[in-house]
Amino acid sequence: MDCNTCDTAPTIVINKPEVVEVTLTITQKAKEMLENAFGDDRSHGLLVGVLSGGCSGYMYDLQIVESTEQDCQELDIDGFKVLVPKASSHLLDGIEIDYVDRMMGGGFKINNPNAASSCGCGESFS
Amino acid sequence: MGVVQLDAYVLIMRGKDCLTFIDGLSTNKVTSTCTTVFTNSAAKIIDMVDVIDGDGYVALIGHNPYKNDIVQHISTRILNQDISISDASSNNSVYLSTSDIDVPDSVTKCSTFRGMLLVAPKNQPIDITMTEADFSEYRVENMIPHQGFEITPKHHPLACGLGHLVHEAKGCYIGQEILARMRSRGRQGRKLVKLPNPVKDATTIGSTHSLAIVRSDVVK
Repeated sequence: MDCNTCDTAPTIVINKPEVVEVTLTITQKAKEMLENAFGDDRSHGLLVGVLSGGCSGYMYDLQIVESTEQDCQELDIDGFKVLVPKASSHLLDGIEIDYVDRMMGGGFKINNPNAASSCGCGESFS
Repeated sequence: MGVVQLDAYVLIMRGKDCLTFIDGLSTNKVTSTCTTVFTNSAAKIIDMVDVIDGDGYVALIGHNPYKNDIVQHISTRILNQDISISDASSNNSVYLSTSDIDVPDSVTKCSTFRGMLLVAPKNQPIDITMTEADFSEYRVENMIPHQGFEITPKHHPLACGLGHLVHEAKGCYIGQEILARMRSRGRQGRKLVKLPNPVKDATTIGSTHSLAIVRSDVVK
């Protein structure tokens, strides 16, 4: 393969979806769990992102972060700093962050009105 | 037996997230040069691609008629990863050699289950020494599936002889749940077979034997 020619090969345009102003809600149970996790220190934020992959094509990515290199929208939801990467904002508008208290399969869950389907574990959606 | 030219596309991906991205969307464990299969949510094949981990790039070599589907499939899933894609199909020709042959330095050579894959600059063509009929004979003899014949969007990878490209222990990818269920229950529906001629609904016809994809319970 001649990589000089590769360098001049036409670029495939990746159509980036329009960035939308995200609105999201956090259920009371999820707020309680976030309060436990954050404590009194609200300098950190909850990063709510999407990764490619998983059984359905996209996977949720929830992290507590001090900062991120991703270009994010910053929301204040009941005193919690929530960061939503602009690149995945179109997939996350209108979501509800819930917490399911179960011995198995419990934890934070995202209810997403944009998801046509999701896999059994709830981590992946399309 | 010789060298045949393939009707193939060459996509060049650049960026630090390329291999992780391909790994998350396809059936094989992709950490370096390998062959893998992109499948849809019904576990049907979008295309089988040879992944070449080059110096500063990753090349995806697939079947030209399936190029638009693969580009659509992967480009919509690039969110904030460090990935760019260019189409080097018109700059390169792709060949398959049934044995290891000497080629100029400008030709990228990679060993695959089908034979040696050769990607050559368009202006440095490689001599074609095998006819399409010879190639079919080679594929029938070695039970090698090929895009457009056995490897089509109608089938899942297990049905067309690509089970070795479906990694058993890797994480989730689109279609994984279906393929894992088929494997664990021993029910893959159809499978690739080589049968003596004449073969009903053969996918590739050879001189004495042919390939076909038949229901698993018909042929043991």
